[in-house]
Amino acid sequence: MNPYFVIIIGAIFVNNFVLNQFLGICPFLGVSKKTNTALGMGFAVIFVMSIASVFTYLVNEFVLVKFGLEYMKTIAFILIIAALVQSVEIVIKKFSPSLYSALGVYLPLITTNCAVLGVALLNVEKAYNLVQSFLNGVFAGVGFTLAIVLLAGVRERIVPKNVPESFRGFPITLIAAAILSMAFSAFSGMFGIV
Amino acid sequence: MLLSTSLPLAIVIPAAVLIVIAAVFAVLLAFLGRKLEVKRDEKVVQVESLLSGANCGGCGYAGCSAFAEALANGKADLSACNATSKANKDKIAAILGTVNDGEEMSFVVCCNGGSACEDKYDYHGYGDCASMELLAGGRKACPVGCMGAGTCVKHCDHHACSIGDKGYASIREDRCTLCGKCAKSCPKGLIKKIPARAKVYVACSNHAKGKDVRSYCKGGCIGCGMCMRNCPEGAITVVDNLAVIDYAKCIGCGACVAKCPSKCIKTREE
Repeated sequence: MNPYFVIIIGAIFVNNFVLNQFLGICPFLGVSKKTNTALGMGFAVIFVMSIASVFTYLVNEFVLVKFGLEYMKTIAFILIIAALVQSVEIVIKKFSPSLYSALGVYLPLITTNCAVLGVALLNVEKAYNLVQSFLNGVFAGVGFTLAIVLLAGVRERIVPKNVPESFRGFPITLIAAAILSMAFSAFSGMFGIV
Repeated sequence: MLLSTSLPLAIVIPAAVLIVIAAVFAVLLAFLGRKLEVKRDEKVVQVESLLSGANCGGCGYAGCSAFAEALANGKADLSACNATSKANKDKIAAILGTVNDGEEMSFVVCCNGGSACEDKYDYHGYGDCASMELLAGGRKACPVGCMGAGTCVKHCDHHACSIGDKGYASIREDRCTLCGKCAKSCPKGLIKKIPARAKVYVACSNHAKGKDVRSYCKGGCIGCGMCMRNCPEGAITVVDNLAVIDYAKCIGCGACVAKCPSKCIKTREE
């Protein structure tokens, strides 16, 4: 099968970062109260993941591997992602105030998001090339957006309902997330992707 | 392979590589930060420094800085802010090139009923004035009487509202930040703005005829006009059976307070 297709489907459904790999749970639970803020967060994650994939690939390939420092990739990637997000923020603040206000507070928030770091590390682990890394970054972000928007939709409907008191608020959110995660596990093995 | 097996180098090289990466990013960030600095509108900065900084949200914006931005863009009106002093509002108006016609205000509760006003029924339900209001317009016989169940107390973040022993709400001015949440929350709309310099105010909001008011409330304005006749400045008129003070004329002599048969014109200190 086309390897790019495999990466795309794998990143969105089969190996969904949040629901199957349990990365980025913090923003997943924190910013999923309303659908539109969830969507904003999702777009910010797509944005950061795609550029982070490219840059971490380049640094890994041309710096870390060259010096035999692959074991330093985690700390190096954290550094790269943090610096990258900050510089991107400065740039879009200057050139696209509308995009800046749309992404708003979410952009700096995901600087230290483990899903972003996870994408960078998995790209290296799976030995993706530049294009594959980029695709994986974009569609892992799409998968994250899908998951967080779904949960936000569920939460919006649960909150006004008569939930038993001991489950009200966070517990019922966790249960909803768990059911969502179980539903997503049905995708495993789709098109033979593991 | 550059990495040496000797221990000092095995530490030095990775550290050096990381330091170089970090330094590159540091320079890049510093460069970008300097080169692409977005100048905050000078106006917004000045306006924000003059606002009270209470961040009470009374204006409807997320805080003083959001309000300052809206002001500078001409989207908001200065009068929406209750917390900023008149002197500072004048300065802001000068910066914005507008005129500040609002003067410093304060909030008073315009009801003198409480226990002096009869109850229509005993309320044993859940909640506060807002829920009581849903049940036949509240428990008081007066349609605009303070029910004393403390919706304003609940909405005040600064413990300025309280229900006194006379059964109606009052506002402690030393604690009040003028955010206006109490005024918005009162289902009867009894909390009103008067100029901060005002010495007296009409503590009643009832427009019913004097005889009707008398039948259920000992403290309500009956529209007799004693205040109007005794005011040396002609600052008081009776409109729809309720005394109204024109604060542009009022000198705060207190003649109306002394003459009012219902004692519903009060001095502010009370």
